[in-house]
Amino acid sequence: MSNFALGSYMPMDSVVHKMDPRSKIIIMLLLMISIFIPSGITGYICIGIFICFVLFLSKLSIKYAFRSMKPMLFMMIFLLVINVLVIKTGIPWIQWGWFSIYSDAIYQTLYIVVRLLYMIIITTILTATTKPLDLTLGIEKLLKPLEKIKFPAHIIAMMISIALRFIPTLIEETQRIMNAQASRGVDLDNGSLKEKLMAILSLIVPLFISAFDRADQLANAMEARGYNPNAQRTRYKVLKMSSLDYIGLISSSFLLILNIAICFVL
Amino acid sequence: MSIEIHNLEHTYNAGTTFSHAAIKGINLQIPDGKVTAIIGQTGSGKSTLVQHFNGLLLPTAGSLEVCGFHIQPLLKIKDVKKLRKEVGLVFQFPEYQLFEETIEKDIAFGPKNFGASEQEAQDLVKKILPVVGLDESYLERSPFELSGGQKRRIAIAGILVLNPKVLVLDEPTAGLDPQGAKEMMTLFMNLNKKENKTVILVTHDMEHVMKYCDHVIVMDHGKVLHEADVKEFFQKPEWLLSIGINPPSIVRLKCMLIEKGFEIPDSILDEESLLECIKGQVIQHV
Repeated sequence: MSNFALGSYMPMDSVVHKMDPRSKIIIMLLLMISIFIPSGITGYICIGIFICFVLFLSKLSIKYAFRSMKPMLFMMIFLLVINVLVIKTGIPWIQWGWFSIYSDAIYQTLYIVVRLLYMIIITTILTATTKPLDLTLGIEKLLKPLEKIKFPAHIIAMMISIALRFIPTLIEETQRIMNAQASRGVDLDNGSLKEKLMAILSLIVPLFISAFDRADQLANAMEARGYNPNAQRTRYKVLKMSSLDYIGLISSSFLLILNIAICFVL
Repeated sequence: MSIEIHNLEHTYNAGTTFSHAAIKGINLQIPDGKVTAIIGQTGSGKSTLVQHFNGLLLPTAGSLEVCGFHIQPLLKIKDVKKLRKEVGLVFQFPEYQLFEETIEKDIAFGPKNFGASEQEAQDLVKKILPVVGLDESYLERSPFELSGGQKRRIAIAGILVLNPKVLVLDEPTAGLDPQGAKEMMTLFMNLNKKENKTVILVTHDMEHVMKYCDHVIVMDHGKVLHEADVKEFFQKPEWLLSIGINPPSIVRLKCMLIEKGFEIPDSILDEESLLECIKGQVIQHV
């Protein structure tokens, strides 16, 4: 549990790692939109090639990309089963008493699988090639224009980065409290329902208390340093778009247009 | 011997890219009924070691014998609860494990987990409060309205109430003021002297080691660097400094006096005999 890293950033030296987080976020959004355009098999193959190319450029191993799918496996299987059973249009392929599977069900299900697969790979590439803090910086910069309509972009970015920062800390804390309570005879695996509830309570209450404590301390520390969310501030790290970013943006927009075209033509 | 350790090794996340060897082969015997100090720099494996004593961690290699329990890799300990009742482990900053509405309920939580009835648990709580220096007026109060030092007493009472034979304390005085630390140490010493409990103390405070402990184990990078009786241990201050341990003030004072030409035998380690020794030499000179 201690090696859990959010989005598990993989420090490597690749073209994708070097890209500006802003452009990476926009490219991700463009790809997501492309995925949801019903452009049939041709469209999906185009997107697939594009994603494979990006995956190759990012130097991430295929194994890593597939491992990130593990947590989604259950949901995918669940969706597949429901889909196959519910859709009743097209030609019936298997008929067995009340149980029947139709051709449309299979096609639809395949589309869903491909979409989910693509989405997971895209987000994995984004989080594996971008440090969490760069990601929030990117989000902040992208939301900047919205500040004109009083949207608190900086505050939201700050909240996200604080939340990300404290995930490992909280996991460590949980482990510590679990050990401490185990020493007092708590058994999280065995016991009646009431005992289990009590065990979970003995974990959650201290966790909340220490989280609030930390929040309080952090707020004081920030205030002591004169933090003001509305102040104009300069950055140690200044985001800069390179030609690479423009190539990425142009090619992914092209992919989106291509998909829209395919959708209307076919 | 209540705890015997044979070739103990522990590696976190073994077999992954995050693998980290915290303990690399330790052989130790911890004497019964004594106060043993485990010292060493941060990251030397002290906390990992003590978590083996009550079965929170299982060794990656080697084995342990703790109070008649045999602990070895991959083997689930039979009746691990019984082991945890024999070996009470108090973590660093134990006040963070409090969670109940009242102090009485919080202290009674442990005994109830080990199968005590409501009435038995309440009786045990009443008995343990004076041991940690608090009275019955605290029973109905919330643990969260107390001061840091008092919270820690409650948390320690939560372990003591289980009446363990071996008490393992991971830096019990960290963050306490000198007075509070002294009271805390006196409490543990009383348990050791009066109830003959084995006490294992993980600490950074050399004054405490010298004053209260019988036996010292020095750990460094997952190995035992040195093991000695306290009296011998502080006789070679140069060696202590060479491994990054700041000797207690009295040992430092002794060194300074020797530098100025006093003759002080190695065995003198307390203020009074030191004073006596210097007095004699000063009078001779005058």
